[in-house]
Amino acid sequence: MKRGLATTLRAGLLVLATGVAGASGQAPGQPLSQAPSQTPAGQEPIAPIPKRCEMPGAVAADQPVLTNVAKAMRTRKRIVILAIGGTSATALGPIAGGNFAVVERLLESTFKSVDVHIVHRGVSGELAADASRRIRNEVALTGADLVLWQVGTADAMARVDPDTLRVAVDETLGWLKAHEIDVIMVGMRYAKSLAKDPWYQATRKIVADVAARHGVFRINRYSAEETLAGVKRGDDSTSTAVEASEASYNCTAEYLARAIAAGLFLRSRQPGEPQLPRRTP
Amino acid sequence: MTRGVNAIDFWRGVALVTIFINHIPGIFYERLTHKNLSLSDSAELFVFLAGWSLRHAVGPPEDPKPAAQLVFRLYGRALTLYAAHLTIVMLAIAMLAVSARVLDNPLLLEWHNAAAVFFDPVNTHIGLVALTHQLGYFDILPLYVVLMLIAPLIAIIHRNAPNLLLPLSLGVYLAALIVPLSVPSWPTEGQWFFNPLCWQLVFVLGFSMSRERGAGGWVRRNMTAIRWAALPLLVAFTAMSLLQWLPDATKVPEPKLLFIVGKTFVTPLRLIQFVALIAVLSLAYPYIEKTVPAITSFLARLGRNALPVFCVGSLLSLAGQIARFYFGGGLVIDTVLVFFGVTVMAVTAWLSEWRDRVEKPR
Repeated sequence: MKRGLATTLRAGLLVLATGVAGASGQAPGQPLSQAPSQTPAGQEPIAPIPKRCEMPGAVAADQPVLTNVAKAMRTRKRIVILAIGGTSATALGPIAGGNFAVVERLLESTFKSVDVHIVHRGVSGELAADASRRIRNEVALTGADLVLWQVGTADAMARVDPDTLRVAVDETLGWLKAHEIDVIMVGMRYAKSLAKDPWYQATRKIVADVAARHGVFRINRYSAEETLAGVKRGDDSTSTAVEASEASYNCTAEYLARAIAAGLFLRSRQPGEPQLPRRTP
Repeated sequence: MTRGVNAIDFWRGVALVTIFINHIPGIFYERLTHKNLSLSDSAELFVFLAGWSLRHAVGPPEDPKPAAQLVFRLYGRALTLYAAHLTIVMLAIAMLAVSARVLDNPLLLEWHNAAAVFFDPVNTHIGLVALTHQLGYFDILPLYVVLMLIAPLIAIIHRNAPNLLLPLSLGVYLAALIVPLSVPSWPTEGQWFFNPLCWQLVFVLGFSMSRERGAGGWVRRNMTAIRWAALPLLVAFTAMSLLQWLPDATKVPEPKLLFIVGKTFVTPLRLIQFVALIAVLSLAYPYIEKTVPAITSFLARLGRNALPVFCVGSLLSLAGQIARFYFGGGLVIDTVLVFFGVTVMAVTAWLSEWRDRVEKPR
């Protein structure tokens, strides 16, 4: 049973890796799981993805564009990340510290002498329209350079008109861009019973569309979790759901950390310094 | 003997119905509640009226209750609120678990901060009991428990130095905004949605306004002038709210919490708007009572039985959310939900008073 679950999680997380959907308009192909062979001074290679989240043949995804975070890193040696979202308490799971510590640890070990501070301000079940107002305040209060925003699931579950959601997300992303705050969106969750739910799917599409229009990097969790669920059909749904969610939260953190690190690696690179190597197929 | 219909119970009834509706996010009738025209919402009204109701526990100035009796009574009330909160939270968790099972949707286990209960049950159960872990939309009673725990201090300060209470409360509020200070949540990282260090001011305002001595006396003597001053403010705040002319939080000076609009810290703009709103609206009650006496009486009955009605309303809101998720939103389902919910809240109030009537003669 345990072995089966492990295989299942690996299969699911393969999609999580491939599902880190770059909407930035950059050329695809920089592997998040690949450590660079050469690094600029003061930077360590990005640590490889842990075994439990590693998939054979994982395909690369784009790096996010994190111009403002890179600037903060250079000038202040400190990055403030605001985690906000409406599905669970935070975008990366309900347990204190755990998954965000993954992000902090990886960034601080990759970029020596940089202090990474993550502020949790998620309100579970909060709709995008309400989060939209709160994000503006929290960005100002925390001095955030990067916002991790989990959006869409709470709205879809509350059956909020998808167009209302579109306006809220659109305005918020526009505001963040105008205020030079980088954003990474953490996409919607998957549940088998929602696969044919037109409201849920319409909401998903809207979140993806708006993110793409704004060139915002989005983690596509839905596809990863969908694959995960597809492999382990027949298991007891509730108990395995908790295990699967934990695995999803944890590996989302691993990939998110690498996405940020990869984005920063490129942005902090000076002319003539090495690029992240591409994985040879 | 049941209290007669009065303005306080009526407005509390209004707050209870509004909270019930607003706690079903996305429902059609949400757009008809006053939060759409206002920087504040029914939470301020509820806490203000809770402060006002403290007068019943404290007793009249000419016949003050002994301090020990006051402490026991208010701590007993805090215990009742605490027990009520834990009961509805456990029921809410069970509702989410059953829904997740029946609807085959594990995401329901993660709704409204419930995820930690299922992911990290050992720590989260400690957090639930210690009030450091709160479910979304089930977070106002913990504030109320804290306010009830400090209520004896509020009453004793007012008894001995009525003019000192409001400045002291304001001082704590400003310190919480300027430092800033908040109450952390655990095991999930974050903070209390209703910061008690700030919301205590709303409670103290309600209590102070209910008293003849101190700030309440001054307000009563100058009510007409206050209403005239409040009216243009209220119009301006309504325009701000409708047109979303809110200050850009990144551009206001430090300490930013003094200038932005936020619910957690019930920031000054929100608080001033609320005070202006109640100053003006308090004028309306006699007209409402005369025009629609049946509705006034109905809402006052809800207000007289605030705790059971609030508890049932909170669970009904969650049931409403689950129903909307299952059936989908829309005017028909939303109308059914509101009609059913308000009816059950009314039955709860009636049952509560019926039980009192039956038990009293014994």
